[in-house]
Amino acid sequence: MFRWKATAAVAVIAALALTGCAGGGETDNTGDDGGRADRLTLISIAAPTSYDIGQGAEWGNRSEFFQAVFDTLLSKDASGEIQPWLATEWSYNEDNTVLTLTLRDDVTFTDGEALDADAVVGSLERFRDGTSPQAATMAGKEFAAVDATTVTITQTAPDPSLVNLLSIAPGLVQAPSSFDDADSATTPVGSGPYILDSASSVTGTTYNYTANPDYWNPDVVKYDNLTINVMEDTTAIVNAIKAGEANGAKIADNNTISEVEGAGWTIESNELDFQGLLLLDRAGTMAPELADVKVRQAINMAFDREALLQSLQSGYGTVTEQVFPETSVAYDAALDSTYAYDPDAAKALLADAGYPDGFTLSMMSTPAFQTTFDLVAQQLADIGITVKYTDPGTGNFITDMLAPKYPATWMALEQNPDWQLINFMVGPAATFNPFKYQDDTVDGYIETVQFGTEEEAATALKELNKYLVDQAWFAPFFRVQGSFAVDANTELAFWPTNAYPSIFDFSPKN
Amino acid sequence: MLSFILRRLLSGVVLVAVISFLAFVLLYMGGGDIARRILGENATAETVAKKTEELGLNRPLLAQYGDWVTSAFTGDLGRSWFTGELVSVSVTNRLAVTLSLVIGATLISAILSVILGVLAARRGGAVDGTVQFLSLIGFAIPGFLIALFLVLVFAINLGWFKATGYVPIATSVGGWLSSVTLPIIALSIGAIATVAAQVRGSVIDATSRDYVRTLRSRGLGDGSVIYKHVLRNAGGPALAVLAVQFVGLLGGAVVVEQIFAIPGMGQLSVRSTTLGDIPVVMGLVIAFAVIVVIVNLLIDLAQAALNPKVRLS
Repeated sequence: MFRWKATAAVAVIAALALTGCAGGGETDNTGDDGGRADRLTLISIAAPTSYDIGQGAEWGNRSEFFQAVFDTLLSKDASGEIQPWLATEWSYNEDNTVLTLTLRDDVTFTDGEALDADAVVGSLERFRDGTSPQAATMAGKEFAAVDATTVTITQTAPDPSLVNLLSIAPGLVQAPSSFDDADSATTPVGSGPYILDSASSVTGTTYNYTANPDYWNPDVVKYDNLTINVMEDTTAIVNAIKAGEANGAKIADNNTISEVEGAGWTIESNELDFQGLLLLDRAGTMAPELADVKVRQAINMAFDREALLQSLQSGYGTVTEQVFPETSVAYDAALDSTYAYDPDAAKALLADAGYPDGFTLSMMSTPAFQTTFDLVAQQLADIGITVKYTDPGTGNFITDMLAPKYPATWMALEQNPDWQLINFMVGPAATFNPFKYQDDTVDGYIETVQFGTEEEAATALKELNKYLVDQAWFAPFFRVQGSFAVDANTELAFWPTNAYPSIFDFSPKN
Repeated sequence: MLSFILRRLLSGVVLVAVISFLAFVLLYMGGGDIARRILGENATAETVAKKTEELGLNRPLLAQYGDWVTSAFTGDLGRSWFTGELVSVSVTNRLAVTLSLVIGATLISAILSVILGVLAARRGGAVDGTVQFLSLIGFAIPGFLIALFLVLVFAINLGWFKATGYVPIATSVGGWLSSVTLPIIALSIGAIATVAAQVRGSVIDATSRDYVRTLRSRGLGDGSVIYKHVLRNAGGPALAVLAVQFVGLLGGAVVVEQIFAIPGMGQLSVRSTTLGDIPVVMGLVIAFAVIVVIVNLLIDLAQAALNPKVRLS
């Protein structure tokens, strides 16, 4: 006879036992202890690829994971200004090729070892020689421990972005004892304000941290526990917000902001990325039409930027025609009205350039941004340019762009600090200058930025920005609003320089 | 029976080997530039090339597959390219979460399906009509819509359950129930609809057989006839459908885990497939294939236990 009751009981017990094997965390936003709140629960949209700084150190939308367990040599405050952190002082030599850092002498890693100059040099070398996304920013630099609290960074030529880099991923310091441990990818050892509780965390999904009891700077730690839940699904993020299951959440889709605000949450924002066209083939090797500045200018005049911002971001952002951000010394608000939306004038300019009947432009499309591609094609068609789209297939969009296989492309790009931005999308060796287009005027400005005085560099940056807009190297549409939501119990000062807030800028309201 | 089990296990091993090779080839064919995807737009071409070499992606496909098979045989499925976690740990942790949902949904759908199916078959008339109508509705409404409705009503508006996340039972029984109840209901409804209809049909078919008339003529009560004899005969087809449902629920968990942000195999499948995290996808493929082989074997054994006429050969 089949024993239904016994079988059912066994099955239930088996199911219960199986669930006991899983990790995970439960959020609890209440409680106070010694001036600190009990727990801060955040929602992120991307998990770290590896905690090993030689493999996965990143800032941007992953900064919170690294800030929690590691310290950086320098830091940025809520307004984005560089401040001392592990390094209390820093100074350049006369020709800006040697940076000397003075370290604190009271910091220990969570494995009990002292954080000294040797450890810092080890981390800097590990980052430089590894495969983290920004590893190339440290290429060619040499590091030396002068004494226990002094480190020098020597470079062949001045790098105006170095100090900034030391406040983000390249400046992270990992305990040398974990360098040879393969598990350091998921079990970090640093000197940071929190310690990862690996047992209750689920890698890729839920990260639970407890405050580091021996942290050298306890005043900045405002919560005893930190939980970061990774959610890639927009619906899940909004549901968690509505159900009050977090204190802060990155808003991946600005179209959900009204729903989030409706749940009583506050939106803090900054602007870090621009969306628009990269007119890459400025020498016309693939699309001869783009070699003519009039054609590039006509393309800039084809776009109704306000309408695009409204359609694609529900109006959350600011229209722009320049690639330098508002925080840059190069920024000039007047440049944002260089190319008014005027299809007729654009058509006249194309005719003047010798293309009265327009031409066909090859670009890539990808299903995730189909609306954008449709609108771009429609606006370009209005001035006589026929866009021929090709879907490069999953995961090939950036690869094909940088190959380069297309003369122009739509893209969303970070607006980094000036020198990083130049090396990212302007300079002859920049990642997003795949045709290696070179212009003597641009090269001159770049040289002044690198080797000139602070004042000379500032002037050169302004002139460079104006030149890029006039020469229509790009056709930016708008800067996208980066949005972060916090609940009624949490205060946040959202720094203007990163996609995810600093974990030190959250504080309990009561 | 032992030789039957051994033969089935052997064929299962062959099946897993074939599936692993096909999955490997398909993943690499559609993988795109994985190193660029790991590193993002900030990385230079040199760093991307270095990462490609580090992962061994510049080597011939067969050499990469050979290495994977060799490592897999020693129990080393590698590490995730996107989180650095051991694949065996990733899959094991999430397997427990997903199985708790799928086993829960299977148990609930099995119990309710039998009750509803027998009720519909025995009572007929309005009860039958109602059960059939509800089955149709349950079958027709997609699981993700049911999940969204449940979250909106019972988690967000009423606050009875968690809207997102998973609490291990070892941490809190109440928290666990709060986190799995809605996903299990969302998963169960479609399965109940399908299996209840199957049970109903099988019971009606079995009750019209001669042996049932004979049993009744010997004075056996209706309950005894149904539960001791009819269900044994009707159980075979229903079990087969339940097995298919179990496997289907693993697929259903993909959507439900995304909506409830539950760290299970479904969510891991979506993420690793989208990203191109080949070591993790391969680990998941093996895990899913093994589960399907084992479930089918168990169902065959259960069929034999239920019905002595079934021979394991």
